[in-house]
Amino acid sequence: MTVYRLAARRLLTAIPVVWGVTFLGFTVLNLLPGDAAQALLGADATPSEVAALSKQLHLDQPFFARYGNWLASALSGHLGNSLGSGQPVTTILAQRLPVTFELLLYAFIISLLIAIPVATLAARRPGGVFDSITTFIALVGLSIAPYILALLLILFFAVDLSLFPALGWTPVSGGLGANLRSLTLPALSLGFPIGCFYTRLLRADVLEQLDEDYVVTAHAKGLPGWRVLLRHATPNSMFGLITVVALNVGTLLGGTVIVEQIFGLPGIGEELFQAIQTRDFPVLEGIVVVFAVLVVVIGLLADLLYAVLDPRIRYDNPGQ
Amino acid sequence: MAAVLLSAAAVAACSGKATGSGGAAAGTTAGGTSTGAGASATVGPQNSATPQPGGSFTMLEETGLTGAWPTGLDPATDGNGSANQSYLDAIYGNLFELGANGQTIDDLATGYTITPDAKTVAIHLRPGVTFSDGTPFNAAAVAFNFKRDIASAVGDKPNWPVSSITTSGNYDVLIHLTQPYAPIINTFHDSNVNWIVSPTALQKMGENAFKLAPVGAGPFTVVSDTVSSELALKKNPHYWAPGEPYLNSLTFKSVASDEAALETMQAGGVQGYEGMQTPQLASAFGQQFNVLDVPSTSPYVIQLNTAIAPFNNLNAREAVYYATDVNLIDQRLFGNLHPVTEGFTAPNGLFYEQDVPGYRTYDLAKAKAAVKAAGGVTVDLMATQSSVTQTVLEALQTMWQAAGMTVNIHVDQLANVIQQFQGNKWQASLQTAGAFDPAAGLGVNFRFGSKSVFSGVHDPKLDTLFAAATSTLDTAKRQQLYDQAAAYISQNAYAPFLFPVNGWNIAAKNVTGPGLTTLLPASAVRPEILWAQVGFTGQ
Repeated sequence: MTVYRLAARRLLTAIPVVWGVTFLGFTVLNLLPGDAAQALLGADATPSEVAALSKQLHLDQPFFARYGNWLASALSGHLGNSLGSGQPVTTILAQRLPVTFELLLYAFIISLLIAIPVATLAARRPGGVFDSITTFIALVGLSIAPYILALLLILFFAVDLSLFPALGWTPVSGGLGANLRSLTLPALSLGFPIGCFYTRLLRADVLEQLDEDYVVTAHAKGLPGWRVLLRHATPNSMFGLITVVALNVGTLLGGTVIVEQIFGLPGIGEELFQAIQTRDFPVLEGIVVVFAVLVVVIGLLADLLYAVLDPRIRYDNPGQ
Repeated sequence: MAAVLLSAAAVAACSGKATGSGGAAAGTTAGGTSTGAGASATVGPQNSATPQPGGSFTMLEETGLTGAWPTGLDPATDGNGSANQSYLDAIYGNLFELGANGQTIDDLATGYTITPDAKTVAIHLRPGVTFSDGTPFNAAAVAFNFKRDIASAVGDKPNWPVSSITTSGNYDVLIHLTQPYAPIINTFHDSNVNWIVSPTALQKMGENAFKLAPVGAGPFTVVSDTVSSELALKKNPHYWAPGEPYLNSLTFKSVASDEAALETMQAGGVQGYEGMQTPQLASAFGQQFNVLDVPSTSPYVIQLNTAIAPFNNLNAREAVYYATDVNLIDQRLFGNLHPVTEGFTAPNGLFYEQDVPGYRTYDLAKAKAAVKAAGGVTVDLMATQSSVTQTVLEALQTMWQAAGMTVNIHVDQLANVIQQFQGNKWQASLQTAGAFDPAAGLGVNFRFGSKSVFSGVHDPKLDTLFAAATSTLDTAKRQQLYDQAAAYISQNAYAPFLFPVNGWNIAAKNVTGPGLTTLLPASAVRPEILWAQVGFTGQ
C-alpha cells in the first residue's frame, strides 16, 4: 500500500468517525437542561418570548430534523451561524483556531523539549542523581492539575518575575517575541504535565532499548556510550512516544478549554466553553468537526512518521 | 456617608451635569427619592481625585457573568444586558445615570417632565449631540430605540404600561402610559432603554453586524470585539461632554476567576476588576489596589413554593423561618460583611426597611415544634450555581436538619433552575430578590408576583399591594405600601430573607472614577461605572 493509499484509506475511515462525533455532540447538547433560546434571552424572559425565539432559530423542530438540517448544510460547506452573535461559524473558527493551533504546537514543542533530553539523560544512569531528581519532578508534574499549575506559573513568572503576561494573547502581527511571550505560560501549563508523562514513557523505552543486542554489539564495536544512546537507542525508542503523542491530541484539546479560560486566550477552547453555556449548537458542532478532523489527521501523521523513523516499515510492502 | 456625598458633589461639579430637571413634576418622581440609598455600606478608601487626560485602561470582567456577551452588544438583543452594563455604558452612554445617593443624574437626557395625570412622561434630550457615526442624536432616534427595546424579547426591557411613544420637536420624546407608573425614571437605570443605538448605523450594517461593532453616542467607540473574550474601545472624539472621556482607550478582558484576576492585576498591565465576589481575597487585593465595597440592592431570599407540599402548610414555612440562623451564616461564612435583611429591600436601595414587624427570627425550639406541627418536613432546596450559594445551602441544610427536617440540597446551572421553576415542582430555592427600586428591573414581582413563573407565592392581596405601590407617585405612600407588603410576606411566612451579598470593584491606586473608586448604588446587577469620568490621577 502506498503512503497515498494509506492516507486516502484513513481519511475515508475518518468520515464515519467525524459523523459519529457530530451526532454525539448534538445529542449530548440536547440532553442538557434548558435550551438556547432561554440561555440567550436570560432568566427573566417570558415563556412566550422564549417560544418565539425558539421558532425563529428553528429550535422548535424535532431533534432529527434539526440535526439533518445542520448536516445537510455542513456537507454543502456551510457550518451555519452562531445562535448568539449571528456570526458565521467559519468566521469564528478562522478567528479563534490560529490561537489554539499555535498554543497546541507550542505546548507540544515544550513537552518534547522536556521529554527527549531528560528521558535520554535519565536513562543513561538509571537510579543516578539526575534520574532521581527528574523522576521526582516528573511525578510532581504528573500529579498537578493544569489549572493549579497555571496559577502557580502566573504567580511566579508573571507576578514575581514579570517575565510573561498573565492574561491575553498578542497576535504575530504585534511582534513574534510578544506573541511567544503571551503564549509561553499557557503552553507551559499544558506542555509541562504532558512532558513529564512523555519523560517517564520515553525513559522506560530507552532503558529497554539499551538492553537490546544491537546496543551490546555497538558497545562491543567500541562506539562511545553517548553515541550509542543518542544515535541508536533513543531514536528506536520513539515509536511509543509518537503513538502517545498522537493519542494525546484529544487530551490537549480538552486542556485548552481550561487553560484558555485562565489565561484569557481568544482560542477555540474558550469558544467551546461559551457555546456549551449558551447551547449554541452550530458553533459547538463546528468545533467538534474541527477537533475530530484534527485528531484523525494527527493519527495519520503519526503512522507516516513511523516509516520515517524506521526504514523497515513501508506501507507499500504488504509483508511489513 | 459624608465622603459619599462629597464624592457625588465633586462628580457633579466636575462633569457639569445637573441632577434632576425642571418642569412641573420633574425630579419629583421616585428617582428623586433616596430613602436609605448610600447608607450603612462598609466602604474602603475612595479615590475621588480629578483624573488627567490620556492613558489606556484595561478592565477585567468575570467569565460567565459580566465577562460574557454571547449575543453581542445591541441593547435590543443582548440577553445579558444588565450584566453587560459596563460595555454598553461605555459605547452608548446613558440617558440617565444613578447618582451617589440615589438621585437621577442627566447624561444624554437633560431631564424629564411628568404630566399632572402622571400618564405622559417627556424625556428631554441634550441638543447638539451626534452618534459616533456622525448622525444626529435626536428625538426620532430615541423614539425608534424605545419602540424597538420595548418590543424586544430580552429580559432587561422595561415593563412600562405604554400606549404609545411619540416625539415633540427635535429633542423631546413622549412616553404615553395607560396608567401612572411611578418607577418609570428608575427603570432607565436597569433596563435597555437607557442605551441608545444609532438607527442609521443599525439599518446600514444590519442587526448581526451591528451587535458586533455597535455605534452609539457614548464616550467610547468599538475598535475590535472578540465575543465574550476581549472588547477594545477607543475615545469617541465626538463625545458631547467637553474634556471627556479622560482615557484614550479602554479594553475589557474576560478572566476566569477572582484568583486569576488578582494575579493578573499583580502582574501589571491591568488596572481594574469589576465585581470581585470572594471576601477572603478583599484584603489581598487591598494591599496593592483600591478596593471599593459595592453593596448589592438585592437580598438573598429562600423562596418557598406555597402551591405544593410541604410549603402549602404554614407550619412548614414557619419551621424554615425559625430554623434559619441568618446572623450565624453571615458571621461564619462572610465575616458579618453583609447586612441582614427581613424584606425585599436592602440598605442601598429605595424603600429600605430594616426591621419588619413580627418577623420570625431563629429559634430552634419553635422550629422543632413547627416541624412537629407540620407532621414532619422533607424539603428539596435548590440554588443557582455561584460562589455564594453552595456554602449557604450547606449551612441551611445543617440548620434545618437540626430542627428535624429532612433536607436535600442541589446547586444547578441557571438553565436547569429555570426549567424547575417552569415545571413548578420545586419546593425551596435560594435566590435573590428586589432591585434598587422594588418595582423596576428584576423587582419584587419577579419573586413574589402571582403571574411570575419564578414566584412561589400566588396571593392576590400581595399583587394588589405591589400594583398600588407601582401606580402612585407619592413616595411616602409607596414606602408605606412596600412596608405593608414586607409585613404581609412575613406574616404569612412566605419567604425568609438573608442578606444582599456585596461585591468589590478593584482599581489601581492611580485610578479614579465614579462607580469604580467612589460608591454609586447598584442599579441592576451592580453599580454602573461612569466611564467618561474614569482616568488616571498621575500619582
